[in-house]
Amino acid sequence: MLDSEIHDLSDDADYAASLQQGSASVMLCNDSTKESSSASELDGAEIVYWKDNVAIHPTQFAISGRLKLIKQGSSLFMTWIPYKGHNADTGLSDKDRNLYTIRAVPFTEIRSIRRHTPALGWQYIIVVLSSGLAHPPLYFYSGGVKEFLATIKQHVLLVRSAEDANVFLVNDFQSTLQRTLSSLELPRAVPLAHGPSNISVDESTLNENEERNDNGVNNGSVSVPQFHRRPRHKAHDPARDLSIQVLEKFSLVTKFARETTSQLFRENQTNGFNTNERRTQIQTNLDPPNSSNVAGKISDENSAVPDSQEFDNLSLVWGKPREPPLDSKEWITFLDSEGRVTDSEAMRKRIFYGGLDHELRNEVWGLLLGYYTYDSTYAEREFLKSVKKSEYENIKNQWLSISPAQAKRFTKFRERKGLIEKDVVRTDRSISFYEGDDNPNVNVLRDILLTYSFYNFDLGYCQGMSDLLSPILFVMDDESEAFWCFVALMERLGPNFNRDQNGMHSQLFALSKLVELLDSSLHNYFKQRDCLNYFFCFRWILIQFKREFEYEKTMILWEVLWTHYPSEHLHLYVCVAVLKRYRNKIMGEEMDFDSLLKFINELSGHIDLDATLRDAEALSICAGEEGAARIPPGTPPSLPVDDGSVYIQHDDEVL
Amino acid sequence: MSYAYLFKYIIIGDTGVGKSCLLLQFTDKRFQPVHDLTIGVEFGARMITIDNKPIKLQIWDTAGQESFRSITRSYYRGAAGALLVYDITRRETFNHLASWLEDARQHANANMTIMLIGNKCDLAHRRAVSTEEGEQFAKEHGLIFMEASAKTAQNVEEAFIKTAGTIYKKIQDGVFDVSNESYGIKVGYGGIPGPSGGRDGPSAAGGSCCS
Repeated sequence: MLDSEIHDLSDDADYAASLQQGSASVMLCNDSTKESSSASELDGAEIVYWKDNVAIHPTQFAISGRLKLIKQGSSLFMTWIPYKGHNADTGLSDKDRNLYTIRAVPFTEIRSIRRHTPALGWQYIIVVLSSGLAHPPLYFYSGGVKEFLATIKQHVLLVRSAEDANVFLVNDFQSTLQRTLSSLELPRAVPLAHGPSNISVDESTLNENEERNDNGVNNGSVSVPQFHRRPRHKAHDPARDLSIQVLEKFSLVTKFARETTSQLFRENQTNGFNTNERRTQIQTNLDPPNSSNVAGKISDENSAVPDSQEFDNLSLVWGKPREPPLDSKEWITFLDSEGRVTDSEAMRKRIFYGGLDHELRNEVWGLLLGYYTYDSTYAEREFLKSVKKSEYENIKNQWLSISPAQAKRFTKFRERKGLIEKDVVRTDRSISFYEGDDNPNVNVLRDILLTYSFYNFDLGYCQGMSDLLSPILFVMDDESEAFWCFVALMERLGPNFNRDQNGMHSQLFALSKLVELLDSSLHNYFKQRDCLNYFFCFRWILIQFKREFEYEKTMILWEVLWTHYPSEHLHLYVCVAVLKRYRNKIMGEEMDFDSLLKFINELSGHIDLDATLRDAEALSICAGEEGAARIPPGTPPSLPVDDGSVYIQHDDEVL
Repeated sequence: MSYAYLFKYIIIGDTGVGKSCLLLQFTDKRFQPVHDLTIGVEFGARMITIDNKPIKLQIWDTAGQESFRSITRSYYRGAAGALLVYDITRRETFNHLASWLEDARQHANANMTIMLIGNKCDLAHRRAVSTEEGEQFAKEHGLIFMEASAKTAQNVEEAFIKTAGTIYKKIQDGVFDVSNESYGIKVGYGGIPGPSGGRDGPSAAGGSCCS
């Protein structure tokens, strides 16, 4: 009874909400109800497939288990239960075992299954949930992937993806010809057979492996129920299904956080405590943080995210696979006959996952940047373009009309002009668009920056702006249009260039908070090494990774960031993703501030954009609202807040 | 590649004075007028030989714009040498030296060796700061001074090596406790300190390493 509370979710806000919503039919299961519920639910649960020796490889050690498909009523569930005791020599505990166990995932919540059948090595599958989260790869040591898929196909609609023959979409009702309908966001997880979408599979079926592998390793915990009791309900209600999906998504993550917390305890305490001790420690952890205890740093407020260490070991979560860039043919489907974007969210989502074909950028960047509104028509955009062109000319004339004599008495102007002139000749000159002596585009770059410094005289010009403008001018290939797109971008990124650097500091601060949330051990490492100022990420943030990727990749990254699709601050999650990717190296080599800065600098040109974006998406999903809450209001690229109290100083600030 | 010592250098000075070009001339022996402006910091490294000992110079080339000063300041930590650069054709870059020096004094260790470089001396016809003024400023502030040209490579090699020589001498004189990396010096694998001193530990003779 007590132990089951370790996994219960009664303190989870979403869980509580879902309980309220479905209170009539949702019942928490505890030990006292176990037998009766088991007995009543035994009927109707049928194992339609089972496969032994299916393993995951979360660390250098594999964990073997049994994969099953269970049919109950008209619903199909998948379970994977690791063998008990088999993993004793791998240093994996019951907690690990619990952590990785897949308990009756209904197929209504599976988006796709990806099959890998390498010529050498084991076949494996990756199960991706509707939430975008994925289970770790399941390796079929004794084959059987084909049979597994065939069995699923008998019970659930399984369609091979048109884009990748190894991806099978579950319950994907849209034929490939109707793909454009995807912009309507049809729910992917429509319960196919109207069965209860949540877990109501017999516990005894789940516990089978445990009983089978009773070899004495369990030292007393054997009698303690290992399983996370889930609410059960019978009636079908789509609204509740939705809340259950949310619940499931959160419970997945919450469970990780808790398990991780106890894992941290395990690392910091002597080995071999039993279940009861673990419970005590977890309770301790809910007490106010104890500064001498690493695990105490992950206080209960952090319970919505996995620890990074765990996260890394598991390779647990992936974002949705990246897609090819949006092309003009598909782009048209997002517009009505007059050119309005009919569903801007669907459009942003599509661009988020694949970026844009280059020839579309000219048309779409202005929309993404907010220069043109989504509900504007072709004609309205043309009209705005001409109005804005003359407005631009007016501002430009302000400095064009300054005579040499006047300039002599106008130091600020001379300085700005001089600085800009020095910088435009040092901006992307290896790109053919700007290359060569007397390249007119370099002059346009100068004119726009100088005009901008009059448009926003207070901000003026600061190094880094030319890096941001360069791709915009290259894409827009029109002085006025490039200027206004740049203005729109600077609405959001302008604070990066404030003289007091407050925009940069608030982002670096937010980044440190996100790393603290998503990778507490890396955070602690940076803290120990006096690296919490995150200055080593300065260039990444100041110019949005412009110097880290080649030109084309930078443009993809920017349009992805500009969608603000999963988060307005995805760029910070991109930072976290890259840091996490190299965390073991950073900590393993005990990098100090200097070597870290050098290492990060030298990553330029070596970062895998697609993989990083997938990680960043997954991290932003994991962090969820907890992550958003750690980013101070008004942190760029959010539009500034009015009260002016944007920047929150933190203790570790070096300055 | 093994070295006896590794020295951390930092190049500072106003934007556009030629910091990156000096570094490139020193590390790659070439002048590249068209290169991207520095955001944050860039790194360069080269081996030199002093007193028959291989010494690795790790050079931090910083962004010069005023707005970035708060970030640049964090780079001073643990630098053994600094090249403070101005442009002899732009008076204002000379006028700003005092504020750069103040930053350096405040954020670097007190024994950091500072070399003042008047760059672009190939552009003598556009000179706005005389050699004497440079010398005078250096003398007043206890800096080493040279005029150099990243374009023609004049004095570039000399500037970096002379700075290293001064640092090396400070080690020999026991000014630095080389086991303390905050001085910007690392002892390499081949770095058995010579018989003349500079050995590890606080007992180094003539130590005046309070900072």
